[in-house]
Amino acid sequence: MIITVDGLNKHLFQPLLDDMFRLRARVFSGRLGWEVNIENDMEIDQFDRMDPAYIIGVDDEMNVISCARVLQTTGPHMLSDVFSAILCGEPPVRSANIWESTRFCVDTERLKNRESKTAVSRATSELMLGILEYAQASGITDIITVIDPIMDRVLKRSNNAPHGYVGQTVPMGKVKALAALLDCTDERIQRVREFADIKGEIFIPETLAAEKLQARKARAEMGVTGAVMSKPAPSLAELQNYCFDLLASADSKKEAEAALMLMEVLKDKLGTSDVAELQRLAAGLSRQQEETKTCVSGTA
Amino acid sequence: MKLHSLHDVPHSEERFTGYLKGICDTFEFDDAAYAGVNPASGTMHAIVTYDKDWQDHYQDQELHNLDPTLQAAMRSVAPVDWMRLRHDSNFRAVFDQARDFGIGECGLTIPIRGPYGEFGMLSVTRKCSEAEWAKLKRNVLAELQPVASHVHDHIMQSEPLTRILHHPNLSLREIEILQWIAAGKSQQDIADILSISNRTVEVHLRSAREKLVALTTAQAVGRAIGLSLIYPS
Repeated sequence: MIITVDGLNKHLFQPLLDDMFRLRARVFSGRLGWEVNIENDMEIDQFDRMDPAYIIGVDDEMNVISCARVLQTTGPHMLSDVFSAILCGEPPVRSANIWESTRFCVDTERLKNRESKTAVSRATSELMLGILEYAQASGITDIITVIDPIMDRVLKRSNNAPHGYVGQTVPMGKVKALAALLDCTDERIQRVREFADIKGEIFIPETLAAEKLQARKARAEMGVTGAVMSKPAPSLAELQNYCFDLLASADSKKEAEAALMLMEVLKDKLGTSDVAELQRLAAGLSRQQEETKTCVSGTA
Repeated sequence: MKLHSLHDVPHSEERFTGYLKGICDTFEFDDAAYAGVNPASGTMHAIVTYDKDWQDHYQDQELHNLDPTLQAAMRSVAPVDWMRLRHDSNFRAVFDQARDFGIGECGLTIPIRGPYGEFGMLSVTRKCSEAEWAKLKRNVLAELQPVASHVHDHIMQSEPLTRILHHPNLSLREIEILQWIAAGKSQQDIADILSISNRTVEVHLRSAREKLVALTTAQAVGRAIGLSLIYPS
């Protein structure tokens, strides 16, 4: 499912945005080795302060699994300001009908453990579809997107090949980067939907998404107490071992006595005969300890 | 914040409101309004096609300080359908009054961000059912986008400072394609010559038109020749 977050509704989705910035840090600084600014494990740059629009993919539990950012090419954007190397110093494309999409990424770590082997591919297609459909509904005809060659291959393999490129492929971090063009036509949208077998609406309405995020928060808070409560009660063997360990590690007579007292208290749980047996063993143990200690001090 | 209206300037009034009326006729809207801010020169522009009564009321009540269609568009990348603002109490405050002047609630505002912090927005409205509005919006939005930025660029470049900053910054590819157009080649011919897709040629043409503040390719070629960017064939 896809949520669109922009300057108008970002106050509803801050936890989601934080997760997105953390995912971007892992992908762009970690995996791709780009020189990006990281603060508190989050990758945030000057364009994030310009009220861009984010297209965010989430799973059923509202975990962020993918994200991308779009900006108008009429105003400040990455190709005009920081990716100028790709354009070899040439001025960037500028049109009210063209948006720039950057910071496209998918949480492959989270998805690789999923039962379905196609989870990453599906998340990638769904995010692409999110960008294309959101752009189309906004009167955008084409997207210019900064990607690495791996993503370029992924696009070509998923029925979503760029219709062209602008500038050159240049080294960036551990990979290379290039600028690709994608039209936001019904035909392309249909091709991506068919490839990934995505039917129906992919966008979650704003109010529903905000509710789901609240539910996630509530679940997370419940989860903490739930974990304590749901911890299984110790088995009899564990209880016996615990008492025994307590005695064995007793450094003083006082501690040994306290351990023996605990056994008395737990008599009905452990069983009278077992307690007697434990106490007999314990008594021997504490004697042994005394002897060892005397021995040690004797040597000293 | 005080609105500076171009209505005080007779020449501009005729030229720009006439242009906005043309937009309304072309796309079947009732009214259109443009508002622009240029932080570099500290100026604001406002041009509207609304009736004089509503304009006066809007100014007297200083509704621009409330109007969520203006506030929201400043923070948006995508055009803002006013439908999205209906839960805003300020929306009610402004549009309950607008109703008395015969203005409906179906409308949208297109934000235009400029490279130097200039900001403009074109609002259009039509009194109709929501279904009719949704259909109209779907049909015209892609065409309306470049028109909005055209109006914005025109008005911004009516200021000398911005005109200097905004010299058309065409890429070699864009110039090359305009030169082939001037030589009489079709879009597909150019795609074949340059070994790129027809759609990619279209993208460069869109960009070249906007940079030259032209709505049609023919106009762009004329301007490019005038600026000696390309040679007349």
